[in-house]
Amino acid sequence: MISKIINMADRMKSAEDRLLESMFAAPPIADDGFSASVVGKVRRRLWLRRLALPGAALLGGAIAIKPLAALVTLLASLSALLPQELFGIIAGFIPQAQTVVLGALLLAVCLLGMRSLED
Amino acid sequence: MYAAEDNQLVARVVSAQDTRAFGELVRRHQSQVRNFLRKLCGDITLADDLSQDCFMHAWDKLQTFSGRGSFIGWLLKVAYTTFLQSKRKSKRYAEILEEAGHATEIEDRHYSVQPDEVGDLDKLLAVLTDEERAIMVMSYACGLSHREISDATNLPVGTVKSVIFRGKQKIRTSFDIKDHQHG
Repeated sequence: MISKIINMADRMKSAEDRLLESMFAAPPIADDGFSASVVGKVRRRLWLRRLALPGAALLGGAIAIKPLAALVTLLASLSALLPQELFGIIAGFIPQAQTVVLGALLLAVCLLGMRSLED
Repeated sequence: MYAAEDNQLVARVVSAQDTRAFGELVRRHQSQVRNFLRKLCGDITLADDLSQDCFMHAWDKLQTFSGRGSFIGWLLKVAYTTFLQSKRKSKRYAEILEEAGHATEIEDRHYSVQPDEVGDLDKLLAVLTDEERAIMVMSYACGLSHREISDATNLPVGTVKSVIFRGKQKIRTSFDIKDHQHG
């Protein structure tokens, strides 16, 4: 009820208000390709967004593949340096500890990569 | 598509990123948005650039439209924010140039019109501040209610009314409105 009264009060216009309305009135502006241009921009942006993530993942993967391969080789050589008894002890507690550690390292690298891509 | 209400079109855009529905919304409201920004800037080219930015921002933020008020009210809020952001950017740019010791002869994007193009409305708008101009234009050119203007400008309804009152007083003291009435 109160809002109705407020709206009615809003609509009760004086002669001065009507004069101002007529002075502020402007003819409608023809579209002339304006909306097509906006929609074109929106579509381009949509496509860019759709391509951005797979593109960035591909690029990141291409850049990261060589250091990753080197890291895996390094880890493999490091594991060869460690005494085999140690693996035996760890394997006693956790089966396939070597694979788990390697997997965890790779996962951490992937997560860091994804995070930096998102940023 | 053409018979659909604004709210239905907005729902289509938000749910399915339907660019055709968005295009229809742009077609429906481009004239009012461009007229609003032209009156705020006093520069047709700048106003049209800002209108494009406004619709791009609208696309990004469309999910924030609650559907409670009118769509044009929400759109003019986006347009006003875009205008203020553009003003802040150009002001900051001028400050950086000044700090760097350059002569600041960049175009001030404050309301300015060419002397030979000055019409009655341009003279009228030139005596108002940006805020007064925006609110007066929303009220008298776009037909928004005080409540809608309050939503669009984030000002209380009472402040909106007093700004309109102040704007009218300024116009009254600067011009004899009755003269305009009779040409």
